[in-house]
Amino acid sequence: MSARLGDEISRVVVWAVMLLALLFLLVPLLVTTLMAFDARSYLGALPPPALSFRWFVNCFRQDALVTGLRISLALGVLAAAISSVAGAGAAIALDGAKFPGRGLLLALFVSPLVVPAVVTGFALLLALSQAGILNGFVRLLFGHVIITLPYTVRATLASLAGRDKRLVEAALVLGATEAQAFRSITLPLIRTGIVTGAIFAFAVSLDDVAVSTFLTDPTTYTLPVALVSAMRASFDLTIAAAAVLLMLVTALLIFVLDRAVGFDRLIGQGMFRT
Amino acid sequence: MLLALLPALLIMAAAFLLPMAGLAVESFRLFVPGRVGAAADAPFTLANYGDLLNRPFVGLFGETLRISILATLAGMLIAYPLAWHIVRRWSRRVRTLAIGLMVMLLLLSMLVRTYAIELTFGSVSIFRPTLKLLGISPNSGWYIECLVGAGLLHYIVPVATLTLLGTVQNVDPRLVEAAQSLGAPAWRAHLTVTLPLSRAGLVGAFLIGLTFSISAFVIPMVLGKGRVLFLSNSIFNRFSELADYPSGAAISIVMLVVSLLLVVAVSRLAAPRRRPA
Amino acid sequence: MAIRVELQGVTKRFGSMTAVDGVSFSIADGETVALLGPSGCGKTTILRLIAGFETPDGGTLRIAGEDMTRKRPYERNVGLLFQHYALFPHMTVAENVAYGLRYRGYPRADIPARVNEMLALVKLPTLGGRHPGQLSGGQQQRVALARALATRPGVVLLDEPLSALDAKLRQELRAEVKEVLAAVGSTAIVVTHDQEEAMSLGERVFIMSHGRIVQQGTPDDIYARPASRFVAEFMGRSNWFAGTLIAPTRFRTADDMVLEIAPHATDGAGHTLCLRPESIDVLPDGGDAGQNRLPARVLEVVLLGAARQITVELDGGQRLLALQANREHAPPARGARVVVGFAPSACILIPDDVV
Repeated sequence: MSARLGDEISRVVVWAVMLLALLFLLVPLLVTTLMAFDARSYLGALPPPALSFRWFVNCFRQDALVTGLRISLALGVLAAAISSVAGAGAAIALDGAKFPGRGLLLALFVSPLVVPAVVTGFALLLALSQAGILNGFVRLLFGHVIITLPYTVRATLASLAGRDKRLVEAALVLGATEAQAFRSITLPLIRTGIVTGAIFAFAVSLDDVAVSTFLTDPTTYTLPVALVSAMRASFDLTIAAAAVLLMLVTALLIFVLDRAVGFDRLIGQGMFRT
Repeated sequence: MLLALLPALLIMAAAFLLPMAGLAVESFRLFVPGRVGAAADAPFTLANYGDLLNRPFVGLFGETLRISILATLAGMLIAYPLAWHIVRRWSRRVRTLAIGLMVMLLLLSMLVRTYAIELTFGSVSIFRPTLKLLGISPNSGWYIECLVGAGLLHYIVPVATLTLLGTVQNVDPRLVEAAQSLGAPAWRAHLTVTLPLSRAGLVGAFLIGLTFSISAFVIPMVLGKGRVLFLSNSIFNRFSELADYPSGAAISIVMLVVSLLLVVAVSRLAAPRRRPA
Repeated sequence: MAIRVELQGVTKRFGSMTAVDGVSFSIADGETVALLGPSGCGKTTILRLIAGFETPDGGTLRIAGEDMTRKRPYERNVGLLFQHYALFPHMTVAENVAYGLRYRGYPRADIPARVNEMLALVKLPTLGGRHPGQLSGGQQQRVALARALATRPGVVLLDEPLSALDAKLRQELRAEVKEVLAAVGSTAIVVTHDQEEAMSLGERVFIMSHGRIVQQGTPDDIYARPASRFVAEFMGRSNWFAGTLIAPTRFRTADDMVLEIAPHATDGAGHTLCLRPESIDVLPDGGDAGQNRLPARVLEVVLLGAARQITVELDGGQRLLALQANREHAPPARGARVVVGFAPSACILIPDDVV
């Protein structure tokens, strides 16, 4: 009888923990979304008595945020593009032949994920200053490319690993040269991997704070950096509006990802393992 | 084909390897207060590392470690049952929903999530009246630590859940059924069968969470409000407020070594995993 | 008859392992040959050498008289049916079949007609627009065959063509593959580990072991006159008697039974006698006298539908496996005393010094 009780109790406890956890994960996001539409000009208790778009409008009035957005988007697209090309190339080369040191090279390309972002940012700052590279955007680009490279390499490798090696052989024996086989068989098949990598790269670049903080200068800064300064200065709801906009961007990215790749394949491709 | 490797190699060399080497060198240079960074011809010294052995830094390291370990443990306690339910209990639709939620959370900007927590639970937040009711001051030390931990959890739970999906799948559910048919209640069956068999995966997920937590920057910066400092924040302070680059570099190298050790530990544990027949 | 494929002393090593050891053979135009052997015997390596995915370390390979030893796969005109089909998943069936035509310079305008012709040949005329993932295993195999044959290759290589299919489908497709190959008239090499597949598809069979060809001949030849114990056991079931040849027509077994055999040269070498199960008659006790009548006791009778398998034990202790058609007369009961008999011509002698 007590065994049964133990079972019931543990079941309830586990369910409670999971429920609380899920609430805990979701409630702050819901609160933020709600508050972003709050018409009051101060932080009052929930629920807001009236709704308004004022904070969203304010977002676009604040120069710092707008500049940050512009630079973040440019940086994101550029960094994702450079990373995708370099990363896909590296993945294809690594997948091709089994040469000694292959494992080491792979670990090297993935290592920026392991190194704390602050260390990467700091190291880059020192090196770029010494090299005399002072342009803010260029410095930020260096930083963003290096932190996004592991994602593109891994994503492309995952889709390369998932394909049938015999397909290229079939193409060769049917008359295609290596280059033709690559273009008509390998490339289309890994396209989803490359796209996934690019999307992740964009998301990572858009979100980065640690590396960017070191590499910004007074005129060139990213949106997250601008948001963090705003948070320290005044805790008003403009930031909440900006946060909601960023959530929308994420939702858009997920939609694109699902369209391009499909969710179950994403999980299966091991994007979430180290 | 190896030509395709070149761009990535160049990027790694220029933007990663060389800077890291430079960082290591800087960490050994003598710092004279008042300058920005060390002079180009400053002598080499171990003083920067020696400095780290004194109380403030050790305390900082300890605080980072403590909060990280607690947060990661809490994350595991949530993620493991969650992963198990996703794999073994829930229907396909709920499963897709849950996994989708985890992925969405991961893709969502860390900054947004951190801000959301501060807005909801922080000192200038809407939760304030409730907290006052419970007699908790949102500015107290331990509450802020909890807040930082909560921020860490927002990343740890989704990552650990997704990582543990594979681990749970590898544990044959019939073993639990066997235990139950032999008389064990469900909770004991899981404790003595599922849990030990998931050990490698659990340790791996734990280390992933720990690595992330130790290197956290944004979360302690926003939620810690200066009361709770992590290693990353102290590096930044050395850089921005003191211009003591060598010391910042030394802390960085220490962080690097610790992270690398953790990763090696993870890969060692992941390696001898049995492949499904 | 012109020679289509010729291998001379071809050797291939992988590290310290010799996969193909100085193999030579020639295949005539239009012939279908089966390379048969257990896994690791080198048959797949030979296939890959002929296709061009590997280069031999020694020897030469000629196709239609031309030296192809070092040519790339796309410089040869070889068709290959992969074991698991290797159909391009991102292309339709029609695009798959058209692939070789495109890259071998077939006139653009003529490609659709040729594709339809091939699909009709493999009896899939309406599936051109589907993707491989939407097809059954048997359909995929036929598409793969169509794709391999579309460019009219001089040689077609088939890698375990039927192994990925279930038993019933295998029978059906075996006949179809033979039909298609005959219709197209190309030279074909079938690589397989399955003795039935080899014997039913191949006009000649080459048996391989450890990188060498140990016997070649028609399926009948090899079955009735295996040159070694390995070949005998690989091609069908066998019963074995150790012993010595005491006269051109007499064999004394280790159990001291004397068996009548067809005339065989006594060269002094030790021999082992092999007997196929289907050549053993299981007769009621006290039946007619005749050559090679041995008393025995029935140990087990297994009914296999069309045939029945009877295991008997001779008085000396040796066990024999007999196979007979499951016809009108009832099978013997377990434990019954019987007499087993076989014709002298059914005895196959294999010298002991051959492996």
